[in-house]
Amino acid sequence: MTTITKRFLILISCVAAAIGVALLIEVLFSFQSGRQFGHTQTGHVVGWVGFAVILTVFVYSAKKRYGGQAGWPKGWFLVHQVAGIAGPALIVIHAGPHLHALVPTLALLAMGVVTVSGLIGVAVHRRAISLLDTQRKELISQGLSHEDIEDRLFDLASDEEAFRIWQIIHVPIVMIFLVLVITHVLGALYLGGF
Amino acid sequence: MRFSPLPPGTFPFVVITITLLLAWVVWGSFNYPEALWAPGNLSRYHADISACSACHQPFQGATAYKCVSCHDNKHFAARSKPNVSEFHQKTIHEGQPCKGCHTEHRGALAQITIGAMANPHGEFVFRATGTNSCTACHDFSTDFERSHLLDNSIVRHLMEEGEGMHRLGKMARCLACHTDGRLEIEEKDEDDE
Repeated sequence: MTTITKRFLILISCVAAAIGVALLIEVLFSFQSGRQFGHTQTGHVVGWVGFAVILTVFVYSAKKRYGGQAGWPKGWFLVHQVAGIAGPALIVIHAGPHLHALVPTLALLAMGVVTVSGLIGVAVHRRAISLLDTQRKELISQGLSHEDIEDRLFDLASDEEAFRIWQIIHVPIVMIFLVLVITHVLGALYLGGF
Repeated sequence: MRFSPLPPGTFPFVVITITLLLAWVVWGSFNYPEALWAPGNLSRYHADISACSACHQPFQGATAYKCVSCHDNKHFAARSKPNVSEFHQKTIHEGQPCKGCHTEHRGALAQITIGAMANPHGEFVFRATGTNSCTACHDFSTDFERSHLLDNSIVRHLMEEGEGMHRLGKMARCLACHTDGRLEIEEKDEDDE
């Protein structure tokens, strides 16, 4: 089994475990209150907190685009990753296994695609950076010129192109997810009240 | 790592997709509101209601004001036991929220009173008796936690149909004999016993 396959399986297992734990928490809370947890006051609060946590992931995106010469916002990337898992986990607790209304179900589905594609993106990104670093060190030790090294690394950079292709999936689905979440929140407030 | 912008066609694609999505939501909200917005099917008690606005007020949710537009004092006086009617009339008069005790959108067969007794017979009993409420056969007037079996035509018919098997203490679990929810009982071969 290759390292990538191993990491992929670990990743999938962790995602499945996180979803399982979140659903279990929702079921326990639902039993306690006698109604769907998402429809209780606490359930609403968990939904709002989850949404707020999810919104913090966009600080990284904004810094990356409009951060000027400050460089890559490494710290915010960490926030992006942590909030990108914690926020959806809270939303799963808020939603539970109750898939009925299409709008929140689609929002949940889009959130799942964004989260999983984000996790895959991190894995692809790390793999690409690691490969380029290793290869660069080897080429430097061989005494090649800077131009030659860059030429040799060109093929490996195709991995980074894979990252770009992944981004074409991740970013549009994020936008669709946001629209669905806002629609869900407005609909829930309109029909369910404040 | 420097940020690389997305390919030129991405933004128009997203805008078109979102526009179509919102158009579908608006269209669906008028034509199929329950499919788009309801967190679950309505109970059998409210299954004939099709408009969300029958129970929900904008940005206020399902309010007592909407509930009493159908379940007014006259409704309770005509259709409920005296103590149940009195309790609800008092609750309405005090302006208590109905949602304190009742819920909805939990499915056609679900109880709408939070903490109400579980139906030990399951959905089968409604099919077998042609009723849609526990109160068709049970009296909860003295105690909400314990019921008394009524002596009415539905109960008498059910007892007769059981040919002795439908008797107190023996008929809670309908499906123990009515396997797979079938009304007919398969005769057991004596040799098998």
